[in-house]
Amino acid sequence: MDMAETAHATPLRPSLHPLLIAPAAALLIAACATDFLYSQTLLFQWDNFSIWLITAGLVLAALAGLALLLDVARRRIGTLAWGRFAGFTVAALLSLLNAFVHSRDAYAAVMPEGLQLSVLVTVILLVLGWRGWSLHAVRRAHPSRPAGARS
Amino acid sequence: MNRILLGGSSALAALLTLSACGEKVADPSTQYGANPVLPAPHEYLLPPMSVPRATGWAKGQTPVVPAGLQVQALATGFEHPRIVYALPNGDVLVVETNGPKAPVYRPKDFIEGKVKAIAGSAGHGGNRITLLRGANGDGQPALRTIFIDHLNSPFGVVLVGNSLYVAATNELLRFPYTPGETHITEKGVHVTDLPAGAINHHWTKSLTASPDGSKLYVGVGSNSNITENGIAVEADRAAIWEVDPATGLKRQFAKGLRNPTGVAFEPQTGKLWAIVNERDEIGPNLVPDYLTSVKEGAFYGWPYSYFGQHLDVRVQPQRPDLVAKAIAPDYALSSHVAPLGMVFSQGTSLPEAYRSGVFIGEHGSWDRNPLNGYKVVYVPFRDGRPSGPPQDVVTGFLTPDGKATKGRPVGVTLDRTGALLIADDVGNTVWRVTAAGAAAN
Repeated sequence: MDMAETAHATPLRPSLHPLLIAPAAALLIAACATDFLYSQTLLFQWDNFSIWLITAGLVLAALAGLALLLDVARRRIGTLAWGRFAGFTVAALLSLLNAFVHSRDAYAAVMPEGLQLSVLVTVILLVLGWRGWSLHAVRRAHPSRPAGARS
Repeated sequence: MNRILLGGSSALAALLTLSACGEKVADPSTQYGANPVLPAPHEYLLPPMSVPRATGWAKGQTPVVPAGLQVQALATGFEHPRIVYALPNGDVLVVETNGPKAPVYRPKDFIEGKVKAIAGSAGHGGNRITLLRGANGDGQPALRTIFIDHLNSPFGVVLVGNSLYVAATNELLRFPYTPGETHITEKGVHVTDLPAGAINHHWTKSLTASPDGSKLYVGVGSNSNITENGIAVEADRAAIWEVDPATGLKRQFAKGLRNPTGVAFEPQTGKLWAIVNERDEIGPNLVPDYLTSVKEGAFYGWPYSYFGQHLDVRVQPQRPDLVAKAIAPDYALSSHVAPLGMVFSQGTSLPEAYRSGVFIGEHGSWDRNPLNGYKVVYVPFRDGRPSGPPQDVVTGFLTPDGKATKGRPVGVTLDRTGALLIADDVGNTVWRVTAAGAAAN
C-alpha cells in the first residue's frame, strides 16, 4: 500500500476476524496433509490428528464468525466481500461434514471421502487466502487514479 | 487433482443423500437363529441411535414377567451391579463394577461419554463383591456384607472347589474360600494377566470353569468397535482364553469373537458356549449379536468379517487368509441387543417350559432406532442345540415409548432354589424370578 492510497483510504481501524480465519484455515489445511498420510499409511493415528485439526479449525471458524459480527457492529468493516464470505462459509460447512466423516470407525469408513473433502476445503481456502484473510471488499478502482494504473 | 475434486463432490452428494434417507428397519424376529437376514451395510454421518434416559425404579415398581412367573427385588441399593453368582451354600455374590475411565482419543469419545452418562452406563461401580444371605425376596437380605473389596473393575466369578476365581479387568485372581465365609480379607493370588492397558475399550472379562474344574475360560473383548484404535492393540483380544488355573499358563481357545461377554458350559453336552456383542455403525440390523458354541481353534471373523465371511470393508488392510477360515456362529439374537449375561437353565425351579435352555440378559444399546434388547430372554435347547426363537422372560425395563429405562439387565444366574437372579445396573437392584405362587425362598 503506497502513501497516496493510505491518504485517501477510509480510516478503518484494524478488524479482528482475519486473526481468527487465518489460523482456522491453517488447521483445516493441515488436516489435508494428515489425511493424505492416513490414506498412504493406513495408520489410524493420522486420522486422530485429522479429526482434532478439523475440530479445532471449526472452533476457530465459529469464533471467526463471532469476530466478524463484532467487526461489523463496531464498523471496522466498510463493505463486506460477500463472495469471499460465501466461500469461507462453504469451507466451514464442508469441514463440519468432514468432522462427521472422520468420526467414523476404521479406515474405509473415513477414506477416501475424508481426504476428498479435505482437498476440496484446502483448495477453497488457498484460493480465498491468496488475497489475505480479510472480508473487507477491496475497491477495484482507486478514486485518485484511473482504473488499472500501477505505481 | 481434478479427479479427486470430482470424486469429492460426488462423495459429498452421496453422503447428503445417505443422511437424509429414512431406512425401514426390519423386525428383530427376522434375525433370530442360524440364518439371520443380513441387509447390506451402510455408512452414516450419524448412525441411527436413540438414547433412553436412565430413571431407575419408583418404589414398588418391578420388571414384568409372563403369566406363571413372579418377580421381586432380592436386594437394592447397589453400586452398578453387573454379575450375580450363587455359592453352593445359598449365599449370593453380587459383583458391583464399572469400567475404568475411558480415554478421550477423539472428539467422538468425549461425546460418547456424555451419552453414556444420560443412559446410565457411567454409574459409579463399587469395584467390589457383595454377599447376600437369607435373602427371602422382600428386598431385605438377613445378612449383607462386603465379601471382597478394592477390585479393579471385576466381572466374571467362578468357584472351583475351595478356590474363588475373580476376573478383574487386568488379571485373573484366586481367593481361598471357606463355605460360610462372609468376608475375604486375604489379597487375591495372581493367576495370570488379562489384556487391559490404557484403552481397555471392552473391559469386561467373563469367566467360567470347565465341568471338571481343570480349566478356566475367559472372554476378552476387542479394544475398539472395529479397529479404530489400530490393529496392534487387538493382539490378545476378541478371543476366549483357556487358562490352566494351577500354572496360569494360557492359550487362545477361539478368536474373532468381538466381545464375548458371557461364557458357560452347556450341561447336557458339556460344550462351551458364549454370547458375543457384534460391531456397530453399519446399520440398525447389522451386525446381529449372537449365541454360539465355541469350537476349539475356530476364528469367528472379527474384525475382517461377520457372520461367517460377510466382509467388513471398513477394516484395511483386509486379511483374506483369515476370512477364508471364518465360521458363522450358531444362533443370532438380532442386532444391538447387547447380551451381557447367560446361564443355562437346567435345574431351574421355573415352570417346565424354561427347564432346557439358556437365559440371556440383554442390556440393550443406543446404537439402534428403534431400540432392541432391554430384557431377559430364554432360548430353548433340544439335544444341546437351540431349538426355537428367543422368548421374552423379563421385560418392562424400558418404558413403552422407549424414552426411558428404569433398569437394564446384565448378569443372570440361578440361585440354590433354582430361581432366576438378574443384576440390573441402572436400577441398582438384583431381581429374583420364581414360579408364580412359589415360596419366597
